[in-house]
Amino acid sequence: MAIATRGTASNYLQRAPSPSGLADVVDLILDKGLVIDAYIRIAVIGIELITIDARIVIASVDTYLRFAEQVNRLDLTQTEAAGLAELRGDNDQRGGKEKSQGMMEGAKDKASDAKKGLKERVGRD
Amino acid sequence: MAVQSPPLTALYCYGVTWADAAEAQRSGGLAGKSVEPVRFEQLAALTSEAPEGKIRARRADLMCHFDVLSRAFERGTVIPLRFGIVLEDVVEDFLRPRHDELVRLLRELDGRVELRVTAHYREEAILAEIVRENERVARLRGESSQAQLIELGKLVAGELRARTDHDARAILDRLRKLALDQEVDEEPIEHQVLRASFLVERKKVPAFDKAMEDLASGQAGRIDFKYVGPLPPHSFVGLEAG
Repeated sequence: MAIATRGTASNYLQRAPSPSGLADVVDLILDKGLVIDAYIRIAVIGIELITIDARIVIASVDTYLRFAEQVNRLDLTQTEAAGLAELRGDNDQRGGKEKSQGMMEGAKDKASDAKKGLKERVGRD
Repeated sequence: MAVQSPPLTALYCYGVTWADAAEAQRSGGLAGKSVEPVRFEQLAALTSEAPEGKIRARRADLMCHFDVLSRAFERGTVIPLRFGIVLEDVVEDFLRPRHDELVRLLRELDGRVELRVTAHYREEAILAEIVRENERVARLRGESSQAQLIELGKLVAGELRARTDHDARAILDRLRKLALDQEVDEEPIEHQVLRASFLVERKKVPAFDKAMEDLASGQAGRIDFKYVGPLPPHSFVGLEAG
């Protein structure tokens, strides 16, 4: 599947003819589409785990503490420098790649945290 | 959701097209089965032999369902069904009783495509913006008591919500003009600005492309956009209950 990336290292617009990330596929194929009566919906193992991954509860003390930690960790001089570099367009390709890899790993961590949470809940029930 | 094994005659159903545009897809279906159209009057359901036992919603299976619909979409209008629907008698249980509604829906969707847009903040950029623009956040930064951390986190959460509302509205206002309809997914995902589908006339897709390019370049470094399509209209199909 070809994914055309517009823009330079900033990678701000990803264009694709079909969904690629698991969350996107699940969104489109499991959550949308026509549902009719008089059918047998085959139950599928694992859907709950897939759909829950990235959905994070926003208002909780845990979330507040995490936001606080993220803000405290911020290196403002660095983000300002990065912002300026991007405006000047002199960000190199590698920099962009590293950033998006970081994001992917972050997402994976969140997903596995959510799954752990779910398993714990299931275990208690 | 009923959990049961389908009877042997049951067919897995991908979607509905016009009968004259329907075409078999050799070994393109779930579990490598062929996709065969079941025709009734003007309509055809795209089906394949239901796999034995239960289906796992593995990524490959979801993509297979999607690919069958995409190939049909290249030939004409398609009404996508949700993943996992098996019918015992496609004509008597579905195509005959729903014929007129399905015809109406297909006509309505002729020449139209779904475009899907998701937008995410870059975490560091948006948090830095909040620190710069909210004095209280800037002052609490670096404090370490539990109460101060919670206050800081609450403020950041509030700022994020306000920015998300504002930015989502701006994106929607820009794209809505080019669309016949839109579906916004309300369930929030952290640092996500918007997740929405737009129903667009095929001939307006280039204008939509341009709008996306403008929106994304205007937010470069702050918001990343993902733009998928043209897709079959997964988000814009519905029949009356009953």
